[in-house]
Amino acid sequence: MSHVDYVRQEHHAFLKASDEALSNPALQQILDKLGDSLGQKNKDAWDAFEQHDLVRQRARAIKDDTLAALDKHLATLEESVTRRGGHVYWAENGEEASGFILDMIQSRGAKKVVKSKSMTSEEIHLNKTLEKHQIEVVETDFGEYIIQVAGHRPSHIVGPALHLSKDDVAEILSEEAGEELPSNREALAAFARRTLRSRFAEAEVGITGVNYAIAETGSIVLVENEGNARLTTSLPRIHIAVMGMEKVIPKLSDLKYFLKVLARAATGQKMSCYTSLITGARREGELDGPEEFHLIILDNGRSKILGGPLRESLFCIRCGACLNACPIYRNVGGHSYGGVYAGPIGAVLTPLYDGLADNHHLPHASSLCGACQTACPVKIQIPEMLVRLREQLHEEPGQLGRMESLAYGLWARSLRSSWLYGWGTWLATRTIGRWKRRTCWLRRLPGSLHGWTKQRDFPAPAPERFRDWWRQEGQHQTGNEEQRRES
Amino acid sequence: MNRDAFLTRVREAAAAGCAHRVHLNDIPGGVGYVGTSAEKCVALADEISAVGGEAIVVESPVAAKDAVATLLKQYEAASALCWKHAVLDRLKLPELLADTNVAVHDHSTLAKLPSDEQRQAILAADVGISSVDFAVAETGTLAVCSKPGRERVISLLPRVHIAIVEESQIVPDLFDVFEQLGKLSFDDLPSNLAFITGPSKTGDIELQLTTGVHGPGKWHVVIVRDA
Repeated sequence: MSHVDYVRQEHHAFLKASDEALSNPALQQILDKLGDSLGQKNKDAWDAFEQHDLVRQRARAIKDDTLAALDKHLATLEESVTRRGGHVYWAENGEEASGFILDMIQSRGAKKVVKSKSMTSEEIHLNKTLEKHQIEVVETDFGEYIIQVAGHRPSHIVGPALHLSKDDVAEILSEEAGEELPSNREALAAFARRTLRSRFAEAEVGITGVNYAIAETGSIVLVENEGNARLTTSLPRIHIAVMGMEKVIPKLSDLKYFLKVLARAATGQKMSCYTSLITGARREGELDGPEEFHLIILDNGRSKILGGPLRESLFCIRCGACLNACPIYRNVGGHSYGGVYAGPIGAVLTPLYDGLADNHHLPHASSLCGACQTACPVKIQIPEMLVRLREQLHEEPGQLGRMESLAYGLWARSLRSSWLYGWGTWLATRTIGRWKRRTCWLRRLPGSLHGWTKQRDFPAPAPERFRDWWRQEGQHQTGNEEQRRES
Repeated sequence: MNRDAFLTRVREAAAAGCAHRVHLNDIPGGVGYVGTSAEKCVALADEISAVGGEAIVVESPVAAKDAVATLLKQYEAASALCWKHAVLDRLKLPELLADTNVAVHDHSTLAKLPSDEQRQAILAADVGISSVDFAVAETGTLAVCSKPGRERVISLLPRVHIAIVEESQIVPDLFDVFEQLGKLSFDDLPSNLAFITGPSKTGDIELQLTTGVHGPGKWHVVIVRDA
């Protein structure tokens, strides 16, 4: 099979995974397209929407206000959901959340589950737990279905199978079908429609994520383009929704601002094809929709983030715009990041959720160019957060190598003393500066400093110090200039 | 985890986090209203075409009925799922379907079937015919609320969805829908409200658009002007 499984086993493999991604021409071709398609569409959508900036600020303010009294809004949400006949569960971590879901499915004697795309369920490794207990879970988002069959992890927040080519998909689905499927999109989508329809019809339980939960009405909102989330919440008898606790918004009228920006950010559409506002189970007399509604509210490390300086990362509405805008993501692809969430926001979230020490490469996996922040519908200051994480990283003992520590130590010392700085720069210009006066670049630094020069050259010191040049030439020239002006 | 312990921890964290709030200028409510400057029916039809649907504006219920008849013929529909709705009654849709030999399933016929036959009937239908609660001219969006007689699967399961919209149901902007929804009491909010903007789409293979992967691949909207 032509595709490579990028699922990373070790967190420290970021560099290795990026190297592999960079030398995979098929993947590079797809990633190249990403900026021109989704990235450009996002920009065009902002341009065409005159008040986009104000709406984005408004959405940002709603998130900020909500988080300031999050406990209150969550309690209101619980009350509203319960009043509409639903059930609420509070899960401290992924294990607890998966446990609730497993218990519920088992207590109803159910065996078959359909799921619509949910990053939160990915975060709690739900499928693994359910499969271990012989419960059949089928992902129904087309991209998720493809990678579930292939055994991959999502490589993009909104396009989970982005890393696969049409031929890869044909090969994967042909194996599943037990017959040769043609390598064209319509035929492959038709196969998925056929296969998944029967899964929808059989399933007793439908599991979804939550894009927004509205405290005052007890509604959850699902935004999608395919219709699989609507099917998941229309056909099975039981609906279970899993939400990260930061997904709550206080009022129904708050939702309209988010709907104005979410699709524009994610795909450049004004509205996604389907936005469902689901309030409880089916009502008396209705023929479709679930008979039971359960909502799981997940903390899983979020309260730790909420109380700290990186609280703004909880504003994220999972649109993927920062991935499409990021020059790093568009080179190394989603799997290199290792965590559930990739791209710039993943580089912030993964260290926060899974520990900074284990993910020390991620805060550095950015050029801090700021394209992510410009694209973000809620204007999250991602570059600033990455810098803060880098700071934290360097405060942790043992994060710097010996050579790096030595180099930074010398640098700091010499900056504190003018004669030492003067002597150091004199030495550097007289030695390296003069040796390299022709090329001006160092191709290879010694020892572990070579890490820096592996992918690019290092600028050599000039053959002469600026202060020496200034003493001889600069002052002289300025003097001439002044004389000319006076005369 | 115990509810109270969960919320206590959140309360403490939220309080601590207030030191790191982002400072924002006050943004007035209602910002972001776009609406439309064109005539409502035309604007809606244009947006529907832009998102991959097919819209037709007609001058009378009779013309709308003809438009639906043409579509049923075009798709060689043998069975249809239908809403019960005053707009459809004004079209005399039940008569049309009886004349054209299309097997019709609506709330009253489906409710009489045992559940597995009911399931088979809805899964087998060729066409779904509904009206809407609102249509949004700015985005080409149809808002449909569930209630008995207005089943959610009708706009979802068949390969073809035909929606009949009367001019009076059209609002300029999504915000107008939210204003109407805001007037509903807690208990009156429907169990399911779907905003539909286009045929079912996916870009999951190589970022190329493919329609009809789960929901209807064909989306027709017949817009009836007020008399």
